[in-house]
Amino acid sequence: MLWFFEIDGSRSQIEFATVVCARSPRGLEPFATRAQPQEAREPTGIHSVGEMRFKDPMLSTHKDVFTEMFFRDAGHGYDEFGFHPKTARWGIKALAPLYNTYFRVKGHETDRIPKEGPAVLAANHAGMLPVDAIMLSLDVFANTAPARWPRASMDHFVPLMPFVGTFFSRCGAVAGSRGNFGRLLDAGELVTAFPEGVPGIQKPIWKRYQLQEWRVGHCELAIRHSAPVVPVGIIGSEEQWPQVGRIDSIKPFGAPYLPIPITPVPLPVRIHIHYGEPIPLHEDYAPEESDDPSVLATAAARVKDAVQGLIAKGLEEREGLFR
Amino acid sequence: MTVVLLTGVTTPLGTALAKALVEDFEIQQVIGVGIEPRPPAELAADSFVYECWDLSKERNIRGMLFGSCRERGVTHVVHSALHRSPLDEGGHIHRLNVESTRHFLRLCERHPTIRRFVFRSDVEVYRHDHLHPTLLREDQPLELSAATRQRVRDRVEADLTVCTRMGMSSLSICVLRLAEVLAPESGSQLYDWLLSRIAIRPLGYNPIVNLLSLDDAVAALIAGIKGEAQGVFNIPGFDSLPLKRLAELAGVRPVALPGPILSPLYRWRERVRKTEFTYQMNDGRFHTSDLLDGTRAKNELGYKPQHRIDFSSVKPRRTP
Repeated sequence: MLWFFEIDGSRSQIEFATVVCARSPRGLEPFATRAQPQEAREPTGIHSVGEMRFKDPMLSTHKDVFTEMFFRDAGHGYDEFGFHPKTARWGIKALAPLYNTYFRVKGHETDRIPKEGPAVLAANHAGMLPVDAIMLSLDVFANTAPARWPRASMDHFVPLMPFVGTFFSRCGAVAGSRGNFGRLLDAGELVTAFPEGVPGIQKPIWKRYQLQEWRVGHCELAIRHSAPVVPVGIIGSEEQWPQVGRIDSIKPFGAPYLPIPITPVPLPVRIHIHYGEPIPLHEDYAPEESDDPSVLATAAARVKDAVQGLIAKGLEEREGLFR
Repeated sequence: MTVVLLTGVTTPLGTALAKALVEDFEIQQVIGVGIEPRPPAELAADSFVYECWDLSKERNIRGMLFGSCRERGVTHVVHSALHRSPLDEGGHIHRLNVESTRHFLRLCERHPTIRRFVFRSDVEVYRHDHLHPTLLREDQPLELSAATRQRVRDRVEADLTVCTRMGMSSLSICVLRLAEVLAPESGSQLYDWLLSRIAIRPLGYNPIVNLLSLDDAVAALIAGIKGEAQGVFNIPGFDSLPLKRLAELAGVRPVALPGPILSPLYRWRERVRKTEFTYQMNDGRFHTSDLLDGTRAKNELGYKPQHRIDFSSVKPRRTP
């Protein structure tokens, strides 16, 4: 914390203090604001967990907040991909301080997040840890009413990582395969895609905000499953844990390489998440056109341009790395 | 008129299916085939006939199909006679699993009254790979690697043997790939895994497994018999739960140990205690979740899992 103040000066100190006061109670406030008036809450089994309010799925299985978010219990409190609302709730509670206080995440134009129906959130990707994916999920959760919990995609090596893969799947992430995404979109869920994939997280600090090869799979799925693509520009995540190099020959737990960071922990960079206008690819193309490489290339370029535009706008509007 | 020939009738699933078919007013007669000299005691009904045949011999299959089965006018065949224990290997087992399936199918095609052939396959035929979707569709790659145990290899070969005749045969062919039936004497690896007082799983992994109840398995096979649709159908169960939770529900203490020591540990257990659970066959699914996508069975056969497994009734005969 001291280090942070030394870098950004006294003005930031004041603002940071203000931010903490203002955002901490607000933070994931939609938990509270979404809920019914106090008198109406008690019978449905809502109880308070810290600053956040949840409806307890144990007490009211059909009225809990995760049911609103398309949680489909496969029989034992888990969905077929392993999503477990109670673990996700615990994860949200544990990560809320990062969202509220450490990264002080600010969502812009959050009204562009589709309130219902399937959609693909396509964002830029960077960082040694998937901070961008986690903050994006929390931001969507915090800024949608009724709450939506986006299903993030995991790179193929992540499910094989002990503990990490299991924890992420309990929190709703799925291995990034067409079959999984198609199933979720068909179920009307909001899914998160990072079309840069591993090359995105491999970026060294001097290539920040330069979009790498933009894969087309998210457009293919959006067209085939009739879902709009919401471009998302995440500012701050590409500087939060800069890496200067990597050792490709060491692959810990199946990860593609061992990163070499500059700092031992992520920097408390402020993260701004800019949501773009949903791109209705499914209205421009018929589902059968999702096999056409030229259509996919055009559609992906359109999404990439939109994300690049949001990044440019976000960088221009940002007043400083930590503000 | 529907007369059903049912192989593997002495297994728990075969017996449950035979009982359900006997009670079904649309089925005139059920002929159960097994290698045991006597039928299960609970299958005493006028419309049920038991026949004892060793199906590993082609001549026996021929004699049965063109003898008593022709006289009775069998119209539907449910073939589920596959050897259950992974410990038994060799030519005799292969003959029962694969060659008899091939002969059975070929002879059924020449049979004057048989119209539909339902083959009971299972989830073991799919290859476990983290690159695949969590929900396996019927077109997922099959387990064809050289290191596979004979039990799996035979099942894949038998499955493919039946699949290759689809569209070329005069029969209406239906292959049902069932999720694991958690029941004794059904070849369930997870049931055997739960036999110990502690159930050891890889540290850091807790994949989702899908289990099929006997009732749902019976419902799926009946849908296969009565349906017209041809092809391969995945049959998922109602219960999808993490491995650790499964052990807890079965009253077994789950213990997580580092993955590399599990293989020698289970090999030792297999040799010393003569248990049927082999870690080699389950390594993949103990790390990643693979569930069957039952959309096709739902749309074309009208099958939907509806019966939960009563875990309190799953009381494995624990080894000390």
